Amino acid sequence: MNNFCIPFGPQHPGLVEPIHVKLEVEGENVVGYDIKFGYSHRGIEKALENRHWIKGIFLAERVCGICSHCHTLAITQGIETLAEIKPTERSEYIRVVMAELERLHSHMLTLGVCFYEIGFQTVFQYMFRDREIPMELLELISGNRVNYGMNIPGGVRRDIEPHKSKAILQKLSKLESRFDYYIKLLEKDTLVKKRTQNVGILSKKDAIHLGATGPVRRASGISTDFRKTGYGAYGNLSFYAVIEKGCDVHSRLMVRTKECIASIRLIREALRNMPDGEINRKMPPMMNIEKGRETLSRVEAQRGELIYYLRSDGMMPYRIKIKTPTYANYLPLGEMLKGSVISDVPITVASLDPCITCADRVTVVKDGKESIVSKDDLKKM
Amino acid sequence: MLPEIFSVLIFPGLLSAIIIGLLYEGIGRKITARMQHRRGPPIYQPFFDWIKTMTKENITPKAGNSFLMTLCPIVSFAAAVSAIIFVPVTGFSIGFEGNVFVFLYFLLISVVFLAVAGFATGSPFGVIGSMREVMQIIAYELPFIISVITLGFISGFQIVAFSAFYLPFTVFGFMLGILGKLGLPPFHIPEAEQEIVEGPMTEYTGPRLGMFQLSHAALVWVLISSAVVMIFGGGNIIEFFIKSLLILIVLMFIKNVFSRAKINQAFKFYWLVVMPLVLIDLVRVLTGFMVG
Repeated sequence: MNNFCIPFGPQHPGLVEPIHVKLEVEGENVVGYDIKFGYSHRGIEKALENRHWIKGIFLAERVCGICSHCHTLAITQGIETLAEIKPTERSEYIRVVMAELERLHSHMLTLGVCFYEIGFQTVFQYMFRDREIPMELLELISGNRVNYGMNIPGGVRRDIEPHKSKAILQKLSKLESRFDYYIKLLEKDTLVKKRTQNVGILSKKDAIHLGATGPVRRASGISTDFRKTGYGAYGNLSFYAVIEKGCDVHSRLMVRTKECIASIRLIREALRNMPDGEINRKMPPMMNIEKGRETLSRVEAQRGELIYYLRSDGMMPYRIKIKTPTYANYLPLGEMLKGSVISDVPITVASLDPCITCADRVTVVKDGKESIVSKDDLKKM
Repeated sequence: MLPEIFSVLIFPGLLSAIIIGLLYEGIGRKITARMQHRRGPPIYQPFFDWIKTMTKENITPKAGNSFLMTLCPIVSFAAAVSAIIFVPVTGFSIGFEGNVFVFLYFLLISVVFLAVAGFATGSPFGVIGSMREVMQIIAYELPFIISVITLGFISGFQIVAFSAFYLPFTVFGFMLGILGKLGLPPFHIPEAEQEIVEGPMTEYTGPRLGMFQLSHAALVWVLISSAVVMIFGGGNIIEFFIKSLLILIVLMFIKNVFSRAKINQAFKFYWLVVMPLVLIDLVRVLTGFMVG
């Protein structure tokens, strides 16, 4: 039988974002693969260097549409560490509520897309209908559905008033009952189980070795969650990391579904224990941070650990380096695709919850040929 | 002579195959949308889709065979329409002993040319889709043929209105054959858009795609009508359409409660689960003959 080359992307109905997975197939079996990215590099890191600290927060929000709050949280926490500001206690709880609501809508989007990838249109539609609940709640708090503009050094910009928190609690209990249905669906539906179990396997050893992060890592039985360290208000809440031991696509979906329920409980707890007080400290509009100070700010985003490296140059940052969780999950993707068939590829890729555009980095093209830049070359540049 | 021309060209032939077939698709889309808590397009949307498709240009890819790409949709449509002529929908049909086989052949030609169409484009998506289509034809065709032959043994190999409720497995095999032929979930494997874009249809545009839309509409009409007549007893025109709509609702229900199977899972299901069951009914009918 002849070998075919099947291009998955950069334009493909199964993968919404521009990634190119080139598959060499023999009949239905995948015998070779190549992953290429770099289709939508936007130069945000460079743009951050030309902006004042506060303006940078709002640009960092545009790195990703789905995890916009997490990006601002990471950069704000970094700036707070550099400038030695402590956010107010109430604002830390509000940040947790925002982050967990965002995790809810992001996980529901991914779960919906995963069901779409295995051709289950109905559950995809249900999931997107239910996703409106967290989206509406985010709109209720911040006035926006995607970029919330909440974080500012020293606190947040909008409060959660008692009537809002009552509405949130009411709608969340409705959402929680929907998740019982989704868990039942994942546990009972024969065809869904057949399509997801023992597909895209990433063993515990490989997950550690290749540095998988987020729900992908937790689905391989490793209890790594940066929220466990208790940044922000997480230390005061009863947080637990969800892990599954199946190492396959099914466990990844399970981890996400159970994390949604955990998020609902966290939001409830945060709203009930929220202390009174100011939501932010009045900061001067221009901040001056001592030259040469640097910090590493880490946040558990929906897809895994999000890392911001910041180095100060006075009024502006000298360098901001962003490491998005999707970037860490590219290597495990190669491991998962080994020995799969064509039908497994979309669901395997979708189970990573890839956010391609956040993770895009520069590809150097010389004489029309792509080349890999070595460490020494980078130093020269 | 006149009734034959009427049955070939108007009812249940060409014109009804196009109009009622597209209407069924529209109703199906509406039912699907309501089941998924959506509003859905209006029932006449497939007509608009078809008219729009017909006004676009034909594009042949470099690796494609233009002649085959034009031939396949026409043959596929013609075969689907020809098959309905042998089904006595409210009495209009061309009846002769052995027309069951002609009916089966025409249905097979219609789906086989869909598979050929994918190979003709030369696109990797089309070729993989066609390979899956062929695999799926092999999977569902045998149980489908056996269930039709089982009915044939009772009726003397002529398609007549017949109520097959005491042969439940035959009904089961027939309905699953319909699911496979129409490519409805869980057997929408050849057109799996998340995997291989649109399968055989990937490279088709314009009137060629329009003919395939008609071919699919005609298949919907033929298969639902033949199911009503051959296993649910036919009846007068009102009974016929009520039964047709009920079958359509059942098909749409199945469509919305399943995800996509893999091709090997579909194959195993048809050959290891459906086949023994339809064979049980065949044996029952055959031994009944010998005793009776």
